[in-house]
Amino acid sequence: MNATIVLGLRSVREALRQPDALFMTMFIPIFFLIVNTGQAAKIFPSDTTGFLEGQSYGAFQLPITLLLAASFGMAALFLVEEIEGGYFDKLRAMPIPRYSMVLGRLVAEGVKGIVISSLILLIALPFGIEIASGVIGFLLIVALSALWGIVYAGFMQLIALKTRSAAATNSGGLIFFPLLFLTPNFVPREMLTRPMEIAATFNPVTYLMEALRSLILTDLDWDKILPGFAVIGAFGVVMLLLNIRMIKTYD
Amino acid sequence: MTQQGVPAVRAEGLVKHFDGGDDTVEAVRGVDLEIQTGEIFGFLGPNGAGKSTTVKMLTTLLTITDGKAEVAGADVVAEPDEVRRRIGVALQEAGLDPRQTGRELLTLHGRLFGLDQAAAAARAEELLQLVELEGAADRVTKGYSGGMQRRLDLAAALVHEPEVLFLDEPTTGLDPASRLTVWEEVRRINGHGTTVFLTTQYLEEADQLCDRLAIIDDGKIVREGTPAELKAELSARRDGAEISLDDVFLDATGRSRDRAAGEVQEVSA
Repeated sequence: MNATIVLGLRSVREALRQPDALFMTMFIPIFFLIVNTGQAAKIFPSDTTGFLEGQSYGAFQLPITLLLAASFGMAALFLVEEIEGGYFDKLRAMPIPRYSMVLGRLVAEGVKGIVISSLILLIALPFGIEIASGVIGFLLIVALSALWGIVYAGFMQLIALKTRSAAATNSGGLIFFPLLFLTPNFVPREMLTRPMEIAATFNPVTYLMEALRSLILTDLDWDKILPGFAVIGAFGVVMLLLNIRMIKTYD
Repeated sequence: MTQQGVPAVRAEGLVKHFDGGDDTVEAVRGVDLEIQTGEIFGFLGPNGAGKSTTVKMLTTLLTITDGKAEVAGADVVAEPDEVRRRIGVALQEAGLDPRQTGRELLTLHGRLFGLDQAAAAARAEELLQLVELEGAADRVTKGYSGGMQRRLDLAAALVHEPEVLFLDEPTTGLDPASRLTVWEEVRRINGHGTTVFLTTQYLEEADQLCDRLAIIDDGKIVREGTPAELKAELSARRDGAEISLDDVFLDATGRSRDRAAGEVQEVSA
């Protein structure tokens, strides 16, 4: 078994030791789902709102809930804690591939993403939200959410490696946060004001959100799904290359 | 294994600069070292003299600005993984994963050094007994006392039976009893043939443990020899006066007792 998997299993064990962190990761996104749906559901009744495809407004809001939950990864904070505490140097003094030190945590982030997104979907189902694309759609939603969690956590790790400070890593995360909201999260893109539509069109998270939404509201629509995976693929490659470069030149 | 006759550590003209914009800090300014296999070598110096920076270069944790170094027969720059396979490292702060138990941490290290799960678990058990932490083995390390953390850190550095063990101020902050336990452990490890490279600020520790030592000040080695040689050399210069290692240290670093005390006061303030 290689070092990445060994370190990944360690991170999974850590996550299991902190179930309260898992609860908080889910609580905030579900809170937003309930509040946003409560505030806007009357404006968008399911029987007269075309873009809801016959479902409730909660189904339309579900993608932002999934993306928010996936963006609350702890990998970067645990990493910076290791840097500050000296354990990171202990790992660096071992004959293991440098990349395994950052990838190990991302493996755990992926596992956590699968668990959290599955739980959120399972919680949503009894409230009348359906996954119109079926079991395959369910699996694709989980995959997209977990992969987004990995990519997001990877970029957070870059901040941790660069700044080596928990405070800077925490506040650095806020730089990426607006990307989640410069998206068509309340209405479809064509209904946004022109400036917001332009911003959303240039925001890659939009395509991820639209892929998730299409899987919830309609049958498998690959024209919507593939751009979501393409965004994750492109950003995933950039994130991995930057992480590997950063860890190799870490001094 | 280190080839017969090859020094455990050899450094020539080791230099480390830290770039800080307009300011370049010259932390280490041309260190030469040769440590024989099986020695306990002490590396002394005041705060900021370059001890930890030198250790970090020799253990592949910091890049080398200039000069070259070999550890256990492997080139630090050209073969860093080979060096890492042959060394154990316990740095200034006991770097432990706070969310793992002592047993999990040692088993993890065994796995990362290539042992299978059963072998890593067995080695962890052996080391836990060695550092007398069996009773706390299944508690997360966050709850360990300073002494327990040090002992576990030492055990973690020994998982793969390294040829050269680097200990960076291993007893700083420990109570006298824990300090004596670490000393005993260092002697025992050395008794099994492991070369020990030890940095310390405690001169008594160096006197008790080290076969040879070097004193570094302002990035350069200013004295090197056995404790007896260094004391004899200063005694000869002072007309046969009785000399302690403290006197050697103060003479080598150009510090007076008053100045050293003043520095301590500044730090504590």
